[in-house]
Amino acid sequence: MRSAAAVLATMAAMALGVYVAAALDAMAGAAVGGRRSVGRSLTFPMRRGLALLLRPRARTERPDAEAWALAPAALAGLAAVGLATIPLAPGLAVADVSAGIVLFGAAMALVMVAVFLQGWGPNSLHPLIAGYRFAGQALSYEMPLALVLIGAALPAESLSVGAIVESQAHLWNALRQPLGMPLFLVAVAGLAFWGPLALPEGEDLAGGTSAEVSGAARLTWKAARLMVLVAGAAMTAAVFLGGWQGPWIPGWAWTILKTLAVLVLLVWARHRFVRVPVERFVWVSWVVLIPLALVDVFLAGAQALWAAP
Amino acid sequence: MIVDVLSWVFGVGSVLCAWRVFRADSMVRAAYWLLAAFVFVGLLLVLLTAQFLGLVLILMMAGEMTIMAVFMVMFMMNPAGLNPMTMVHQHRTSIAAGVVAFLGLAAVGLLGSFPERAVAAGARVTRETGMELLGDSMVVFETAAVALLATMIGTVALASRRGRAGDAYEGSVPPSMDPEEAK
Repeated sequence: MRSAAAVLATMAAMALGVYVAAALDAMAGAAVGGRRSVGRSLTFPMRRGLALLLRPRARTERPDAEAWALAPAALAGLAAVGLATIPLAPGLAVADVSAGIVLFGAAMALVMVAVFLQGWGPNSLHPLIAGYRFAGQALSYEMPLALVLIGAALPAESLSVGAIVESQAHLWNALRQPLGMPLFLVAVAGLAFWGPLALPEGEDLAGGTSAEVSGAARLTWKAARLMVLVAGAAMTAAVFLGGWQGPWIPGWAWTILKTLAVLVLLVWARHRFVRVPVERFVWVSWVVLIPLALVDVFLAGAQALWAAP
Repeated sequence: MIVDVLSWVFGVGSVLCAWRVFRADSMVRAAYWLLAAFVFVGLLLVLLTAQFLGLVLILMMAGEMTIMAVFMVMFMMNPAGLNPMTMVHQHRTSIAAGVVAFLGLAAVGLLGSFPERAVAAGARVTRETGMELLGDSMVVFETAAVALLATMIGTVALASRRGRAGDAYEGSVPPSMDPEEAK
């Protein structure tokens, strides 16, 4: 009974999260363009989704059809696995397993495969370059992502996301480990190839991984990418912002509010910062972000040893 | 009961995917069939209550197989690896090696004696793995880790455009645009 409720709640949170993220993005786009029409922005995802559904499917010459069909479904499934590890409220998780952040990390590592296959599938130049480009990007954000998650697990003495949330009863990890959350947000942007790190979807590649898809396949791809973004935002809220912990309103409401706040931040970043060249991101990641993530882990370890009786 | 069914599904799935590796006609497909086989092995490890090891196996293989696919495509004479190609060679040697390996593993499976100690429900398996890795076996694992790290740094230093042998483009001559001269 409890697990059925968790499954339903997580599915509803994912669907709502994707819609809200798309609507927020439309709103931010309208604001940047000087048009302030909240109502149209709220219905934008629906109108855009229907328009995509009605369009015919694009075809290319001799595609790797299975890989191309698998890629969006795999991306959506991996995002769902990632979200499944995060409890909305105490005990209300699909799979708050003992190695939760490792499961999240494994699902997010396979995102690289899904995006690569999306680029590989159509047998076309720009998507193929985008696939290779994302491989380089993924290898650069994976290390900070994994390291700061390990850092957040240290005070909890557990790899389970629920235990990590509980370990923040007195102090959020965002304050306890000030390096962790900024690094994790960069990694989430890279993971969902979002905003400044939307490198495999770049205009310089004529849309990259999206260049050859249209119709329902394009809708699935865009939705799956937002699912990854929502899973990343929910993980940020759980691991760095104390998850369900907070006064006055019930725990699940806190989880949703915090996830929403992280989503707003990511949408703002998308419209605030320009896309970076891939070489620069790889350089910054290996020379700056990974050493900083190592510092984060060492500091978290030192704090854990200090706190140990 | 459900564990038995799942272990059969994962085991058969792993073997089927491993078989597809050799029937695939592109580098990328072969690499990702191998990844699928490893994912099933990782799920088998999870069923054996080694959750951490199984999930880490999947996590590592996702990156490794992509890197392998990119490297294989780079080293092929087939540009971009896009055209279908035969993935098997040295048929006799590989058949002999396959038969020997199968017989060896089958002999272990049939003749070996396996422990039948069920893991207690509350056992903290991840903690015990960590104790083993950083306790009794620490020297072995740390030696391997340092060796791997040195290899990685060495590879990057050799491959870097600004490596220890100087600028990679120093003294290089662009290819001639005249087909006669290029011969």
